[in-house]
Amino acid sequence: MLKQICILSAALFCSSAIAQERPIFDAHIHYSHDAVKLVPPEQVAKILRDAGVRKALVSSSDDNGTQLLLAAAPDIVVPALRPYRRRGEINTWMHDESVIDYLEENLAKNDYEAIGEFHAYGDDIKTPVIQRMIALAKERNLILHHHGDREAVDLIFETWPEARVLWAHSGFDDPARVVDALNTYPRLWADLAFRSDMASRGRIDPDWKEAFEAHPDRFMVGTDTFAPERWYYVGPHADFSREWLDLLPDQIADNIAYANAERLLASE
Amino acid sequence: MKLWFTAALIALTGAVRAEVLLSADEIEQTLSFGPWSPSFHSDPSNRVSNNARAIALGEALFNDPVLSSDGAFSCASCHDPEQAFTTPEARALGRVLLDRNTPSLRNLAGLRWYGWGGKSDNLWAASLHPIIEEQEMAHSPESLKTAISESAYIDDFEAIFGVIQNQDPELVLVNTAKALSAYLETLVADRTQFDDFRDALERRDFPAAAYYPEAAQRGLQLFLGRGNCVFCHNGPRFSNNEFHDAGVPYFLNETEVDEGRFGGLNFLLSSPYTLDGDWNDDPDKHGAWAVRNVRRSHADFGTFRTPSLRGVAETAPYMHDGSLRDLNGVIRHYSKINTDRLHTDGEAILLQLNLSEQEIADLVAFLMTLSKASY
Repeated sequence: MLKQICILSAALFCSSAIAQERPIFDAHIHYSHDAVKLVPPEQVAKILRDAGVRKALVSSSDDNGTQLLLAAAPDIVVPALRPYRRRGEINTWMHDESVIDYLEENLAKNDYEAIGEFHAYGDDIKTPVIQRMIALAKERNLILHHHGDREAVDLIFETWPEARVLWAHSGFDDPARVVDALNTYPRLWADLAFRSDMASRGRIDPDWKEAFEAHPDRFMVGTDTFAPERWYYVGPHADFSREWLDLLPDQIADNIAYANAERLLASE
Repeated sequence: MKLWFTAALIALTGAVRAEVLLSADEIEQTLSFGPWSPSFHSDPSNRVSNNARAIALGEALFNDPVLSSDGAFSCASCHDPEQAFTTPEARALGRVLLDRNTPSLRNLAGLRWYGWGGKSDNLWAASLHPIIEEQEMAHSPESLKTAISESAYIDDFEAIFGVIQNQDPELVLVNTAKALSAYLETLVADRTQFDDFRDALERRDFPAAAYYPEAAQRGLQLFLGRGNCVFCHNGPRFSNNEFHDAGVPYFLNETEVDEGRFGGLNFLLSSPYTLDGDWNDDPDKHGAWAVRNVRRSHADFGTFRTPSLRGVAETAPYMHDGSLRDLNGVIRHYSKINTDRLHTDGEAILLQLNLSEQEIADLVAFLMTLSKASY
């Protein structure tokens, strides 16, 4: 009997320890030019490891940051190519034809899993620059990490129906509309970066819970290191993620924490 | 005769109105910055709020090094009453160089949050934390009890709070903080030239309002209009008392950052000294709804409480870390703000204003009128 209690206790302890250390695939990381100056790649790699981030989808303005971090943490970094040379190009890049040269040059010399995160709303998708960018992604079967509205999502899939699209911040849309988008597009995934509305004070939002149950294989977490200082939020964000994911059934929590992102990468 | 008088009145009114530059809508917005001074309301969470003896004790303790464990300095060492309850250093110097600029202590009564990161939801808690903070006054509740017991203030303390030896050290700590709070809530910035202008507008006394400098009026128009400063700096205190990313870097050193509201909220939610805690003297716990309901957000990281602009000309340097030396620098910061630092779905209110030199001067002229010194 005592032995059984010990085994049970050990199992509970292990289960708790595993839950505390649930690995994280951080699907929304930037290491842009100003962060490179202020937080060295080795320090960034340490931050990721200390946070228990086992993989991170990294895109940077410019791409130098991603390449530096890839060299410092090749086991963690999943490189994505952002179509910005500086962060300030968020609102203008789709009208700047030199972006295509920049993308082509980098695609020719480096390996990537995705293009993005790029910002585009509505008809922006129809601009020649974005159309060419989508074509480049299609040639290489790269994931598109898109920050924008539902109309833009529709137009991306209209342009390339077989695309794999990761919808940054789940479009900052409400859960029901996110579910509708996921219902409509089986090859759409959604990251939850910079969103805090999924849970509060130990309680999962019921609408989000419904969304996670409806699409347990499509959501993932991300920090969004949009300013250099935000690198020091990677650890707290991982803790925050584990805390609210613990409120979900283990399988769904594991999926959102890391498995969905890993499956997205493995998909064709 | 009557006709002549009416014509003269119209001409006079027209002439005077020409010197008040504000539109009807701008006048309406301007009225929202007053009246000043605000009416006083006792703090129900502090049973000695508005108690004359507690106020006097609080003032004496504020100015006496008895509240630091080694008698090295007093609250007034950093919050100098002669310097608008702050000091001119960029970052406060406690036992070490602290992380933030020393905030002024005027106009604190009745706020929802206190401190740059909002780690307190009441004024007595905000007064308590520096007493036991290791880098500041560094008392323990036990050492504070001994210090108060052996001080010249013991009679006043016991007259207000009862026999000290019957009090647990933590109760002594809280009582001391409540005496400080009773004093601090009496500190109100003086009326200013702006208040005279605002009240004259309310009375529709345009000749009196016209004494307000035109440069300040133009600055006010920018403040309300294109600058949209009023979005955060609103109400009689010129502050929404909430937390924002104003585009100011928040590195402390190469490997640390100031977490701002994120750290403040974590502190608040684990503090026993909130309005929802046992130390609140108000049985109905008015105001506790805020700490009970406040939600964490990723946007909290690196945000800081909007400071009041009352008396702002007297409290340089500026921002949470004192990194901007003067008001001119503050206006230039917002004029050329690095919006790349801000999340695209975050502080959308902040845009590069690209102000002209004249506009910068006008905004500074307006801000100067929010201080008594401009009289």
